[in-house]
Amino acid sequence: MIAMELKPIKEILQMLEGYEKIVLFGDSGCAQMCDVGGILQLEDMEELLSSHGKIVLGYVFVEGGICDGNAFKLSVANKMHMLEEADAYLVQACGVATQVVTEALPAKEAFPATNTQFLGSMPERFMHYEKCSMCGDCVLHLTGGICPITRCPKGLLNGPCGGAMNGKCEVNPEQDCAWQLIYDRLKALGKLDNIRKIWDLRDWSPTHKPRKIEVTGDSMMS
Amino acid sequence: MLTLTRLQELLERGEFVVTAEVGPPHGSDSRMVITKTDLMKEHCDAINITDNVRGIPTMDSSVCSHLVIQAGAEPVMHISARDRNRIQLESALYGAHALGVRNLLFVTGDHSLLGTHPEAKLVYDFDSIQALQIARHLMSGTDLSGQKLEGIPEFYLGSTFNPYADPIELQIWRVEKKRDSGARFFQTQAIYEISRFEEFMDGVRPLGVHVLAGVIPLKGPKMARFMNRRIPGIAIPEEMISRLERAGSGLTGDARRKAMKDEGVEIALETIEAVRSINGVNGIHIMAVGWEEVVPELVERAGLLPRPR
Repeated sequence: MIAMELKPIKEILQMLEGYEKIVLFGDSGCAQMCDVGGILQLEDMEELLSSHGKIVLGYVFVEGGICDGNAFKLSVANKMHMLEEADAYLVQACGVATQVVTEALPAKEAFPATNTQFLGSMPERFMHYEKCSMCGDCVLHLTGGICPITRCPKGLLNGPCGGAMNGKCEVNPEQDCAWQLIYDRLKALGKLDNIRKIWDLRDWSPTHKPRKIEVTGDSMMS
Repeated sequence: MLTLTRLQELLERGEFVVTAEVGPPHGSDSRMVITKTDLMKEHCDAINITDNVRGIPTMDSSVCSHLVIQAGAEPVMHISARDRNRIQLESALYGAHALGVRNLLFVTGDHSLLGTHPEAKLVYDFDSIQALQIARHLMSGTDLSGQKLEGIPEFYLGSTFNPYADPIELQIWRVEKKRDSGARFFQTQAIYEISRFEEFMDGVRPLGVHVLAGVIPLKGPKMARFMNRRIPGIAIPEEMISRLERAGSGLTGDARRKAMKDEGVEIALETIEAVRSINGVNGIHIMAVGWEEVVPELVERAGLLPRPR
């Protein structure tokens, strides 16, 4: 999922300065799983904004993700009156969500309540770990299911740097060296040959922004 | 056999080579490089110019390499993969060749989180192995897009390895990958503990590359502890640190500092002696990190003078 954190309250209040009537946005997807935009956090935000003289008119809570155009439309359909009355929207979800709200409801400004961080796993609540850089050319089949582009701070493809000692990373001695993990795993799988050959200079153009996917006709799985 | 540089000639001739490092200034003072070069140029065969070590900005390594040439010595220009993309690397290599630089040494580069500019955006478009491949590619006459070059650069390529890094098998494969990408000489991270270096050399020897063992003379226990804590890939044994401490015990002020520095020089001399007897080690690379005055003393006392012509 997309991992994100709430911005400092001071920053949120600063961006809402001059706006009185606010509508809060959240969803049951990444925003809820990251404890920034579930119903509980919308309630907390309402209480907080109220204590600073704002009026929270209500919530738009999307089942699924605000990023899903259809789910979003269904969630706002019967709330247009409230949305028109508002001075501003506060989006307690990722940067995609704030832009979806901006595009769908351009009459008012939508403000981000979060800092969107990374694509990660959540082994338990409140714990998020980056696992994927969305590089557009996955290598996990060669690296034992462990991503060096993301989990090595240097994104190295030809094995560990000279700062890797005792299985730990030079950047943070608490952090496992991704290449040690890859080595151990491939050794266990009998596939060390995967990383013995030179990994040629990589084509990074699949990461060039802004990216899009437009599946047309029967191209999927064909 | 035609050689491109004196470093290459000496290594291929089988001489025991001495190189030393000059850290470029944190500013625009060109005299610093020339002064440091003058200080040690009679005592070493080539002078290495580092490239923004730990992401701390210092004068451009190709410019400093040029200053080394002006001072009458042969430079080994370091290139870190950390801060450049391939466009900038190709450009830098054309410029380096135009400035007379022929020895290149590629490193991946310490992560900039460990330096003074942790806010910088990381590049890492390629690693040191891929950087070697880019250099070798240019030497074949075209750029990466296949466009014919207006002037084909020629370089003697090198890189580094750290015998204390893990996992050892993978680290030796990396040396092999570097060799297969064009690296002909290697300098190592600073050697302190010998047996691990010997074990690593067992893996490197069959690769047929030239190896310069890294030597960083220690000024005292404080420096040793700092390096163990803050410099990636450094492993100074605790007994060596206590030896420095013992050397200064009972003394104060300048006398204490001098006694510990003398002990640091002794340790460095013992290390040089030990690495010289390891089969496959073709020289030493002294990294004095701000203590350049010690280089002539070390070279002289190690019996490595006069340098071959």
